[in-house]
Amino acid sequence: MATPLPESVIEQTYYLNMGPQHPSTHGVLRLFLKLDGEYIIEADPVVGYGHRGHEKMAESHFYEQFLPNTSRMDYLSGLIYNHGYVAALEKMAGIEVPPRAEYIRVICAELNRVCSHLLWFGTYLLDLGGITPFLYAFDDREQIMDALDRITGSRLTYCYCRVGGVARDVDAEFVRAIRAFIERLRSRFEDYHTLVTKNVIFIHRTRGVGVIDRDTALRFGCSGPVLRASGVPYDIRRAEPYSVYPRFEFDIPTGTAGDVLARYTVRLQEMEQSLRIVEQALEGLPEGPFKGRAPRKVHPPKGDCYFAVESARGALGYYIVSDGTCYPYRLKVRVPSFGNLQVLTEVLPGTLVADTVAILGSVDIVVPEVDR
Amino acid sequence: MGLVREVILGSWSLITGMGVTIRRYGRRAITTQYPRKRLEMSPGYRGHIELVRFEELGSHNCVACGTCVRFCPTHVIKVQGEKPRARAPKRATLYFIDFSHCSLCGLCVANCPTRTLKFSTEYEMAHACRWEGVVDLMQRLEESA
Repeated sequence: MATPLPESVIEQTYYLNMGPQHPSTHGVLRLFLKLDGEYIIEADPVVGYGHRGHEKMAESHFYEQFLPNTSRMDYLSGLIYNHGYVAALEKMAGIEVPPRAEYIRVICAELNRVCSHLLWFGTYLLDLGGITPFLYAFDDREQIMDALDRITGSRLTYCYCRVGGVARDVDAEFVRAIRAFIERLRSRFEDYHTLVTKNVIFIHRTRGVGVIDRDTALRFGCSGPVLRASGVPYDIRRAEPYSVYPRFEFDIPTGTAGDVLARYTVRLQEMEQSLRIVEQALEGLPEGPFKGRAPRKVHPPKGDCYFAVESARGALGYYIVSDGTCYPYRLKVRVPSFGNLQVLTEVLPGTLVADTVAILGSVDIVVPEVDR
Repeated sequence: MGLVREVILGSWSLITGMGVTIRRYGRRAITTQYPRKRLEMSPGYRGHIELVRFEELGSHNCVACGTCVRFCPTHVIKVQGEKPRARAPKRATLYFIDFSHCSLCGLCVANCPTRTLKFSTEYEMAHACRWEGVVDLMQRLEESA
């Protein structure tokens, strides 16, 4: 007669800690996974390892002093973070920005978006096991970094935007370099498609994996390419136009499937659209000053203000409460990665452990931005 | 038939992908072989700050007003000055920056009233000891003369 198995043996679930020092989490993120064999039953992202207290730091610095912090939250699209912060201050204090400065900001922000997506493209395929595309993507990314280094002086943590303009003017050499880069990257996309998009292994790894449907994406406050891949054509640049974006023609790429492949496709198409914007902006780059009249220290009037921009990862918002002094009373940053990360609790259960890296990489989180 | 077709198309995608890689072999390396070759820093490059030498003064024009000290988010700048004689404008005699904490935001350069600060093109800033990150800008200016 067979002895019945005890209850604890029948339920063979166990816990797996992925991270905080896992190479594919790209930062200090810990995923707490409850597994049944190879299948995930529960997933719980544990955040906060990289908490640096940026929002609290802002309260003890005056408005300009917070500028270097902005690009250190999401270090991959620092210029867009800079842009959002100064734009919020300008809106609050009613400061005019010369058109040339706005154009330069848009050019830099879009280049930074391409740069960020290229890095994602490289590292994501590295996560999936493809080493070669990573090298090509970094080769292209280096061209943008060199051009941005020429005008901003830094390669990653830019502190380029200033209240009322930008820190340094662009020159003809920069314009020439960017034009050449646009040509170059367009020809490289064909290589990327041959190398990756049409690759049978890549397609099998990504199609139908990690599907985020439209409702889930909206419920968790997803934004950026994650939301657009689920079929919602929401882009702050179109929905709440800021800066000089209404002057440019560009499409908002959307997917329908909401799976990993759709997010990949949306990001690649977004790069092409960004190049279109940069091209138009270079064409219409007006002459004039690159920095308008602005006080050395901004004293926004009493009140509050929310300003959102489209970062490489989605909707980025700054909420500033001012008490009339040169120090913010409260500064809240709404980061896109946080919402995009939380959706994993819904998407990961039911998938295989081997797909975790593919799904986690596809939402493109930057952990210091989640923790900030 | 579907399976055969899929296998052939899949294999073909791998071959064409490999072709992209193989074509790269004929091209030269894109990296700079660093210790043997050095890059020219761009004009806007941000190293640590340094004092500007004005031709008409033969020296810097720092009046030790302390604007850079107040604007620095990480408080890494230390300036002291004295008046060479009574009723003369103040002149800086000591200027230190602790580069190990500098975030290169450029607020000191942007707000300097006498425009006597600029970014250097120093990029080999790795140190074995924490105190080696402290730069004496006055000494640097004298040495550059």
